[in-house]
Amino acid sequence: MPIKNKKSTQGGRSGTSDRGGIRKRGAPKRIDRDGDMAMVPDNSGSRGKKPHGGSGGRGQPRGKALDVLQQAISSHDSQANIRHGKARGNLEHVRITGWKDSKAASNPDGGIESLINFLEKKLESKLEPKTGPRAKISKSRVEGDTFVASIRPELMGRMLQINGFSFANAVLTIQKYDPSDQPMLSEISQNGGTSSTADTKAKMTNILRRRYYQPNKLLDLSKLGNDPDLNAMGIFSSSSTESKFFPALMKVWEMNFVDPKTREEAVESVSLADNQLANIAVITTLSQAFPNLKNLDMSNNNFKDANALLQWRWKFQRLEFLDLTGSPFSAEPDFKDTMLKWYPQLRVLNNVEVRTADEIAARKKTPIPAQAPHFVDESQIAQNFVKAFFPGYDNNRNELVSQFYDNHTTFSFNVNVSAPRSQQVETAPWDPYIKKSRNLLKINHLPARMSRAYSGVEKIREIWSSLPATRHPDIASHPEEWLIECFPIPGLPDSSGQSPTGVGGLLIMVHGKFDEIATSKVETRSFDRTFIVGPGGGMGGIRVISDILCLRAYGGHEAWIVENPPAISAAQPAPVVQPAVQPAAIPAAMPAAPNGYGMAAPGKSDAQVQQEQLVMQLSSKTSMTLQYSELALSGNGWNLEAALKNFEELKAQGQLPPDAFLPGTA
Amino acid sequence: MAPPQDQLTKISTEATTEFVQSYYPALQSNRAAIASFYDKPTSTILFNGNTVADGNAVQEIFVNQMPPTHYEVQSYDCQIINQTYPTPTATGMKLPNETTIKDISLLVIVSGFVRFGESRDLPQRGFSETFMLVPNPTADAPKGKRRREWLIQTQNFRLVV
Repeated sequence: MPIKNKKSTQGGRSGTSDRGGIRKRGAPKRIDRDGDMAMVPDNSGSRGKKPHGGSGGRGQPRGKALDVLQQAISSHDSQANIRHGKARGNLEHVRITGWKDSKAASNPDGGIESLINFLEKKLESKLEPKTGPRAKISKSRVEGDTFVASIRPELMGRMLQINGFSFANAVLTIQKYDPSDQPMLSEISQNGGTSSTADTKAKMTNILRRRYYQPNKLLDLSKLGNDPDLNAMGIFSSSSTESKFFPALMKVWEMNFVDPKTREEAVESVSLADNQLANIAVITTLSQAFPNLKNLDMSNNNFKDANALLQWRWKFQRLEFLDLTGSPFSAEPDFKDTMLKWYPQLRVLNNVEVRTADEIAARKKTPIPAQAPHFVDESQIAQNFVKAFFPGYDNNRNELVSQFYDNHTTFSFNVNVSAPRSQQVETAPWDPYIKKSRNLLKINHLPARMSRAYSGVEKIREIWSSLPATRHPDIASHPEEWLIECFPIPGLPDSSGQSPTGVGGLLIMVHGKFDEIATSKVETRSFDRTFIVGPGGGMGGIRVISDILCLRAYGGHEAWIVENPPAISAAQPAPVVQPAVQPAAIPAAMPAAPNGYGMAAPGKSDAQVQQEQLVMQLSSKTSMTLQYSELALSGNGWNLEAALKNFEELKAQGQLPPDAFLPGTA
Repeated sequence: MAPPQDQLTKISTEATTEFVQSYYPALQSNRAAIASFYDKPTSTILFNGNTVADGNAVQEIFVNQMPPTHYEVQSYDCQIINQTYPTPTATGMKLPNETTIKDISLLVIVSGFVRFGESRDLPQRGFSETFMLVPNPTADAPKGKRRREWLIQTQNFRLVV
């Protein structure tokens, strides 16, 4: 047992227990869930204290809102399988070998990009003159010295013709590949003289089991060369099996877990100490198996410089502890700076603290701390709309567009192809979207700007049906993955034409993620979608006036986790003074105001909103109930001063009954 | 009679471009001008869930509380919301014969990243921001400056990455 490595790995772990910053970000999760549910209208002060939604008269009790969502979701249970039904079987795969001997293999990326370019160019040149979509490698990955490329089935014939071509002075071997037959394992089993792939798999599973320390979430892969079982399998007897062994081991590890989430949570720490590694070419798949690794011990290896680790430049973005002692690279002058740059969460490097918890927290902290979503939706119009919209968009866009859209609705979307990402995962190409993207930064010509905005039910139906199928997460079961905000806005066009001053409606902003299920592999992307809804003839008496969507690489949901209350009071922007037109300032003095009173809302004219606001102002000045305040105002031509004067007179004459006043104020 | 679609598209997208290309640079390096981008009064203004009272308060926050901040707009789009926006004037509402093709309200959505602090090593935080822009009701320009034709009525900034 490699004592040293275990100790240092634990050191890294125990160091994490006092991580104020990280803990704190995790701790308010439940609060955040409430926040993300966004169905509690009052987001002032009391948020974050338990219990929720206790006394206030405002808003739907949270439990009920959840029940409603739960029902909505459970009625869609049967959809869970659709994704699997659709997702499979569109792409075929080839194994490509020989490229490791090419000149390009010394490129920083191991020559992968050159190889892909080479293959795509060859595929393209074999295409019939410019018909159909471009010849592309849809997906690819490296397993040891095998490059696995996934292509559309119609390209398979051409791809196999490239077999034997010369790529940067190396001859490529291209064979059809069925992922289910696990060539690495069979090859290892052949070379190692053992009987079968299944046997190899069983042996590797045993080795992994022996080297996995569940309580510590540690996978100890140190001193592999001394492992008697591996030696008995003949793993290290040829360089061919040696290079295939590690990817195979990772594959076996992955096969032992039913789902990626459990797999990723099973391991926080990996040791690869004492393995005489000069670079990570053989073990590079570790970053695919454990993308969220926190502690990595690679002490006593032989990494010369940063290039030896370059393939992990964008991986392990959650790494906190890294041990590279014993490698020449550790003595290089740029060692510490390079590692700090590569790994934003790194705290301990070669057993020395290089960032404090505070420093890491400060990197994440924003000058304007994230607060719970602002969600003012008094009649639950936005809640019902969002609840209906995303399942509808996933399952029946055709019906959805008829339910909420009309011939004055506009829809457009834009793709931010270079948006920051939360994890350094590969972003799938934007081909299905880019030709319709209305990013005004890039689309400068008027005809294109016109043709990329879609007005009216039929045009929206058409564009929606051309976009890839989607699957958004359940709002009820994954509230943390959503950020939904909403508030009333005035001045919207009145489709009935009755109000020249416009009508009130709701501005709804939704941030989240979706799985794109059009290709053989499920792609996760993030989106920002803003709707304006107003009164209309659609379901629930509303219509969508505007629907504008931004698509970007998956960016996670950590950005909207509510930051610490102490940080808020310290750095809160200037005292919040609501402008006079916003009645939200009044609620403290107006416990009796019903939800939505004084707020713009679909179906309410601006004149009515103004009257309600006057009523609330009079009520707060006089402590009269809303009913008496309204009587006083309507009796005085809706003139606040006249109504106040009238009130003073009546009060002085003792003509106001006790029930004219709010409870406890008379 | 509705104005032709090409004119409306031209006016709305150019107004949005003008806005995006002047507002974000102002947040970065012309903070004394921030309040001039806002209507008076404004409707809801939110930064990361925090309510801010009006344009003056936004400017106050940026001048006094924000470190040097670098914004990069990577994508944006707009839609016309109300083609006959009821632009108020000193004497009430504009009469029908006083309205122009520019009496339109605009929904703008912006996607990009922001870096809080001077060092280029600091993380790029993705943001999404939604604006409602309405016609500037006042005819006069600030001294020596070009008049802004549209002003922020509503704003919602959110860090999303």
